[in-house]
Amino acid sequence: MSFFRKFRKSINNNKPKTDSDAIFSLSSAYITLETKLGLKNTGRCAVSLKSVSGMHFSEMKNDIQRFLDASKAEFELSYNIVTDSYGYLWVILQGKSMEDILAQLIAVGDTIQDKGFSSHLLAAVFEFSDEGKNNNNKKHRKYLIYNYKYNKFYPFVPIGQEIRNTEEEMRIMAEIADEIPFERDMTLWYPLWDLPLEP
Amino acid sequence: MIILQWYFSDRIVLWSSGAKIVTREQFPKLHDVVERIVARNNLPKPKIAVINTNMPNAFATGKGPKSSVVAVTTGILDLLDIEELEGVLAHELTHIRNRDVLVLTLASVFSTVAWYLMQFGFYGGMGYGYGGGSRDRNNGGGMILVIIGAMLTWIISFLIIRAISRYREFAADRGSAQLTGKPVKLANALMKISGTMKQVPTKDLRRVEGLNAFFIVPAVTGSTIGNLFSTHPPLEKRIQKLMEMEASMS
Repeated sequence: MSFFRKFRKSINNNKPKTDSDAIFSLSSAYITLETKLGLKNTGRCAVSLKSVSGMHFSEMKNDIQRFLDASKAEFELSYNIVTDSYGYLWVILQGKSMEDILAQLIAVGDTIQDKGFSSHLLAAVFEFSDEGKNNNNKKHRKYLIYNYKYNKFYPFVPIGQEIRNTEEEMRIMAEIADEIPFERDMTLWYPLWDLPLEP
Repeated sequence: MIILQWYFSDRIVLWSSGAKIVTREQFPKLHDVVERIVARNNLPKPKIAVINTNMPNAFATGKGPKSSVVAVTTGILDLLDIEELEGVLAHELTHIRNRDVLVLTLASVFSTVAWYLMQFGFYGGMGYGYGGGSRDRNNGGGMILVIIGAMLTWIISFLIIRAISRYREFAADRGSAQLTGKPVKLANALMKISGTMKQVPTKDLRRVEGLNAFFIVPAVTGSTIGNLFSTHPPLEKRIQKLMEMEASMS
């Protein structure tokens, strides 16, 4: 019986589930996070990819910039592009409505893939916050990380220097694991320390 | 035999594990935690034993709720914080409340009987079937049927015992969640005990990506055949169920 279940599952898994489908599933899951756990989305999200030197890469970067400049006004959107110490390029978006920033993020991802850099995509990150503050009077930040290679989300709650709050992460898993493509193997929940999302 | 096994089960287990009954003066905190759970839920307080080993573990044994023993290792006392320990102890107290020792002893009656029948049939069959000449041939055939029947019974009851045992573990997890109201603490404790806490990575994704070909390894978790034979359900399933309870409580 379970053999057939596995078989069926593997067929279903082979269906082309696109990144945009997966990412757009957040447009309902973020409401669950807010009502059940009091986590508000900060309107900030980002996509990161390994940056390389070369004409094609900078061309793609220009395309993204041009695209975001054009949609800035219409969607009340601001953006920022930075490179971190690991040599990853971050396209950081900040907007008012979750649906808008998700759509913009998906469009950016599509641009990257159209230009042939899909294998460079690392992750998309979505920032949430509760009302609590830590010792430095900074707001608690909690994240959902979307891994492009696995097409799955997982939670990331940093609470200090290389320390994460696994309990809170499991709580997030319990609330939304059925709503979005979720990484249930906790050994793959790789963190992203020092995220450059906050301005 | 089975009755004896059940009657002496607690003493056998305590003796073979090297557990020592401890008084309140020796381990005040441990007694406090147990008393807090039993007082809140109107359960009889079991005897408390400690095993001196670094292996983090805990078990419950005893014939009934009144004469039970909960044993913990010194390893688990060092590893867990108070709330996690409370979750584990509540899990063991649920085993006691549900009379799981008795349930499993009863469940093993069939397999024990089948085991002896199998032994008896095997040696008996050799003696009569082949030693006694042609007159006993039919008898020998009958014996083979008995052996096969007993063997089947033994295999089936073996699998059933394991299934029951896994089910009792889930039930004890659920009971613990109800007794403490904090399933996430038990989930945490389970992860700590199994060492999974260390498996939730702290190494940065960007650094991992740098190690070439890392992502080629497929993420396979658990095998179905292995699950059939184990007495405890897989950790991920237990944690998932606990977190579902946590979600439904909030």
